[in-house]
Amino acid sequence: MKLAFPGQAARLSSSEEASAGSSRRTMTPRGAGRLVGRFVRKAGTPLLVLYALGLGAFLGLASADWATRGGYPFGGVRIGPWMAWPRAGSANADPYTRAVNARRGEIPLAVGEGLLMTASEDDEGRSLDASCTYAISGAVPPARAWTITVAGRGPRDPNRPHIRDGFTSTEILRQQDGRFVIVLGPEVEPGNWLPSPRADGPMRLALRLYDTPAAASAASLDRSVVPSITREGCAP
Amino acid sequence: MRLRIVYATLTGLVLAGLVHIMAVLAIPRLAETDAVTRAKTSENLDHPQAVYALATGDAPAPQEVWLPIPDPAVAVGVCAFDLSDGPMRVSARTGNLALSLAAHGRQGAFYAVTDQAAVRGALDLVILTRAQYDQALADDDENEPSRDVRIVAPEGQGFVVVRVIAGLPSQREAANAAVRAVSCTTDAPDDEPRKPGGR
Repeated sequence: MKLAFPGQAARLSSSEEASAGSSRRTMTPRGAGRLVGRFVRKAGTPLLVLYALGLGAFLGLASADWATRGGYPFGGVRIGPWMAWPRAGSANADPYTRAVNARRGEIPLAVGEGLLMTASEDDEGRSLDASCTYAISGAVPPARAWTITVAGRGPRDPNRPHIRDGFTSTEILRQQDGRFVIVLGPEVEPGNWLPSPRADGPMRLALRLYDTPAAASAASLDRSVVPSITREGCAP
Repeated sequence: MRLRIVYATLTGLVLAGLVHIMAVLAIPRLAETDAVTRAKTSENLDHPQAVYALATGDAPAPQEVWLPIPDPAVAVGVCAFDLSDGPMRVSARTGNLALSLAAHGRQGAFYAVTDQAAVRGALDLVILTRAQYDQALADDDENEPSRDVRIVAPEGQGFVVVRVIAGLPSQREAANAAVRAVSCTTDAPDDEPRKPGGR
């Protein structure tokens, strides 16, 4: 004991220190801890205060950055494969949502304006891949107008012809019962063909409902009123 | 000694929690890329600044885009307001394209209206502070009630978003024009106490 801790503070060291044995002089983790301990003892309280302040500032800022980067952390409603954040644009949005909006420069749709739903997975929970073909079929909640768009990660590939990013409710081809099928895939398809934005990689779909009563009651939407996303096959 | 280090670490963690909460709350106020700050460049225009003009024919790339994932079928414009200069009046004439107006502050959207609420093809929105609202109410002529939609803003600064939906690619040009046609003017405080029957 005396050998390892020649100062008065040796008395403060915990009993487990004794089991480490003073005979071992190699740089074990415990030995490193002892070195730190000796260093701290010499520098004293100011160093500990600095350490606490530094830890607080670093962890606090890093966690705040992490929580407000990317998507909204709270308040999402899952409807089938779609996620909606009905309160993202309202005045009583939570502070994290507000911070995310401020960092992205986003102007969210207000409750009276519409509702945004996004999907990055298909019905079975596999993430949407640009090399696969998907059928987006069904109906949408009542709305005056809606658009469905697809986006890949990062900027658009300049080598691919830019045919369309999405469909609006006006231009889509419907079946006789008012339902529709959109085929999202890399190869040309008859009917409503939505070309994949990139050759491969993840994709996101966005369904925007404008002037819809569903915005006020997004939590009670049933998955039968939103389009389903089924994978039809993937390019090898 | 070991105890003191543990104590310092715990203090650090508590501090980290405080710093986290304060940082999250401060981000909307301090952000330089948020919509309120960016919209401010439009403050002395009397029409909305086009945030996202739709691609038409030969002009595919929309000029300045700062919306993260814009809708390629919706033209977006913003008008910033600063209510210390006087109430903000937003007037839109409705056409055959769906149009919506939403008023945002730093806290989020506090009002939204679509062209279906228009009276005789016109949508007049006046955004004012509580004091300006009381003043306007006192100045109202009883025989000729104002048709303005008056909204009390929770804070002095913010912006109004104009969105026009182009259902078909051929309507995109009209949608861009409809955004530009909305007028955003500041009602100067000088002519605020209007004479009855005037205007």
